[in-house]
Amino acid sequence: MPAPFSRRAALRRLGAFAASSPLYQLGGQQRPPGLRERVPALEEIESVLEFEPVARARISRTAYDYVAGGVDGEFTLRRNRQAFEWAELVPRALAPAAAPDLSAEIFGQKLPCPILVAPTAAHSQVHPEGEKATHQGAAAAGVLMAVSSNSSYPIQEVAAAAKGPVWFQLYARDTPEGTRDRVERALAAGCQAVLLTVDTQYMSHRERMLHDRHLNIPAAGVPVRTRSRRQAGAPPAPYRLQPQNPDLSWKTVEAIRAYTNVPFLLKGILTAEDARLAVEHGVSGVVVSNHGGRYLDYAPSTLEALPEIVQAVGGRIPVLIDGGFRRGSDVFKALALGARAVLVGRPPLWGLGAFGPEGVRRVLEVLQAELAMAMAATGCATIAAIDRSAVLVDFA
Amino acid sequence: MSRLPPLEELVNLFEVEEVARQRLAPELFESIAAGAGAGLTLGRNREAFDRITLRPRVLVDVRAMDLGTQLLGRKLETPILVAPTSRQTLLHPEGELATLRGAAAAKATVVLSSRPGIPLERIAAQARGAFWCQLEPETGAGEFRQLVRRATDAGAQALCLSAGWRGEKPAPPVDWTLVARVREWTPAPLWIKGILAPGEARTAVEKGAQGIIVSNYGGRLVDGAMAAIEALPAVVEAVGRHVPVLIDSGFRRGTDVLKALALGANGVMLGRPPLWGLAAYGAEGVQKVLELIQTELALAMGLCGKPNLAAIDRSLVKIHKR
Ligand SMILES: Cc1cc2nc3c(=O)[nH]c(=O)nc-3n(C[C@H](O)[C@H](O)[C@H](O)COP(=O)(O)O)c2cc1C
Repeated sequence: MPAPFSRRAALRRLGAFAASSPLYQLGGQQRPPGLRERVPALEEIESVLEFEPVARARISRTAYDYVAGGVDGEFTLRRNRQAFEWAELVPRALAPAAAPDLSAEIFGQKLPCPILVAPTAAHSQVHPEGEKATHQGAAAAGVLMAVSSNSSYPIQEVAAAAKGPVWFQLYARDTPEGTRDRVERALAAGCQAVLLTVDTQYMSHRERMLHDRHLNIPAAGVPVRTRSRRQAGAPPAPYRLQPQNPDLSWKTVEAIRAYTNVPFLLKGILTAEDARLAVEHGVSGVVVSNHGGRYLDYAPSTLEALPEIVQAVGGRIPVLIDGGFRRGSDVFKALALGARAVLVGRPPLWGLGAFGPEGVRRVLEVLQAELAMAMAATGCATIAAIDRSAVLVDFA
Repeated sequence: MSRLPPLEELVNLFEVEEVARQRLAPELFESIAAGAGAGLTLGRNREAFDRITLRPRVLVDVRAMDLGTQLLGRKLETPILVAPTSRQTLLHPEGELATLRGAAAAKATVVLSSRPGIPLERIAAQARGAFWCQLEPETGAGEFRQLVRRATDAGAQALCLSAGWRGEKPAPPVDWTLVARVREWTPAPLWIKGILAPGEARTAVEKGAQGIIVSNYGGRLVDGAMAAIEALPAVVEAVGRHVPVLIDSGFRRGTDVLKALALGANGVMLGRPPLWGLAAYGAEGVQKVLELIQTELALAMGLCGKPNLAAIDRSLVKIHKR
């Protein structure tokens, strides 16, 4: 007897179909539902990518473009997704893992899964409660949240909004004292680690946002702070550049590390050379990141860069990664290539924009459930059991 | 005709191309855009950049950005030049005069075509910025010498002999006896343009070229030729560190330029993009095109931890198989 037809099953098939279209997978180009299409309800959504068009329908165009966009022609933005197609899982049909255990550990901290919320700025552009709502959703899914220096609410309010663990993403300020003050506030708010972002020397050309500006579309919510270092009266930077952190150096890293008594990571490492230097300078960990394709176009996809960094670090410090992770199997691939944990940037924002804290929670639960399925199929009962033999890789 | 967008709305070179496409008569736009044959090389010139990624280094102080460089003893503000293209008066009434004015405003050197729309002497009389002159392979010594002299008298800082090129038609072979005598006739250094094969680069240097320009003429000469950027590494290797190498064909982004510099080029020339700017906006369009790509280059360098050209080397790029 055929299975009884259910609307739910039909929607699931539709979702699977949409999610398998190449455009859909690359992400970032999501059309909002048209006038005659209905926006799906939260419980109808089965995969992370399905959140994007819903969020797009519910937030302002400028907010959407701000979240979705990459730099220049968005090569790196696309490449981050493409690289997952060059890594394949190796299933174990004879020895699947029945109920895989996703729990992970980092810097002595126990986590229910090796998935974290990446630091992203200005959440109130997509939801009035901003990062407070994101933290609530993440905490409900048991996921650690890294809070941006450019959050819409002060770090102490974000940290206090839920019980879940938080890390702090640091943008160095104009003066060493300013930077130290920012770190101390974060530590006082209970942040358990600090990530210094090192890949934003100059503001990049987000062409979608430049167009929005020229079209005079009003920005909704809190404006994005562009932190130009230009002092009043100073000559403009040459070549029309907009400085952000052009002065960051390994000296800055040493200075911050000296007063930061929680694990201190560098975010934005893409080469073996810099990974080695990071270890030599005593940092606690690195995040392989190209800032979600938002700063240097033609930076490598992070998945492609991961192996050389894992090899250079040689197990001395944990290597984390972000950039384009949208599926549990994506997370699995990075873990197999040696990452300790994976951060997701845009997906929680889609969840937040589409359904508020509940959406954030659901996005993170879907990823965990998919990771569990990948582990089951490959016979990995624990996170530690995921190793290089679990994937076949043929990078370009 | 659609509205002419204000220049400050344009954010990259492809958008300037789009405006030119809308403003120009289709045949005229196509005369700039076209490649030879089926356009294979035209396409490859762009696709090849998608197989090269950058390896950015971080935590390098990049406050003091400097794109300046030296080419055969001359200081250039940036490594981006305007390539020779003929008859610019077809695109804009001021033609080469506007191109030179726009380039001078962007502090860029222009290579004037051997077939300008305005007589060389008139251009030179009004030129504020630096320019070089292109030569075509000639058969007669008298003619060739005459061209060299005119260019020198006009104030050309360098000469650029376009090998294989004669107004888009295959040219006679380069007469090396003439090349050997150029130094008797002028103090301006001689570059040979249109080289893709490392052996030819070596020959050109042996026969008296002081610099090499890797080029497939924007895919307009031989369809099926390799992408210029793919030819670059072997040419650089063949001529060694002491012979400067420039490149053109398909450069549209600051990251394209950065990749060429990392693969050993000393500079990059732009052919079509300044023409798009010229056709749509005159001198200001040329300036805009140059400033856009200069800014993109500076930005990419800053984000790669390279505050100046000397800091750029081969380790900055990775070449992929697909
Ligand atoms: C809207 C948005 C804002 C971001 N803001 C920050 C930020 O303030 N600090 C930071 O270190 N990274 C920031 N990032 C980069 C993320 O931390 C992360 O590296 C990236 O989003 C991961 O790629 P994914 O979005 O494909 O998951 C931002 C990314 C996005 C999409």
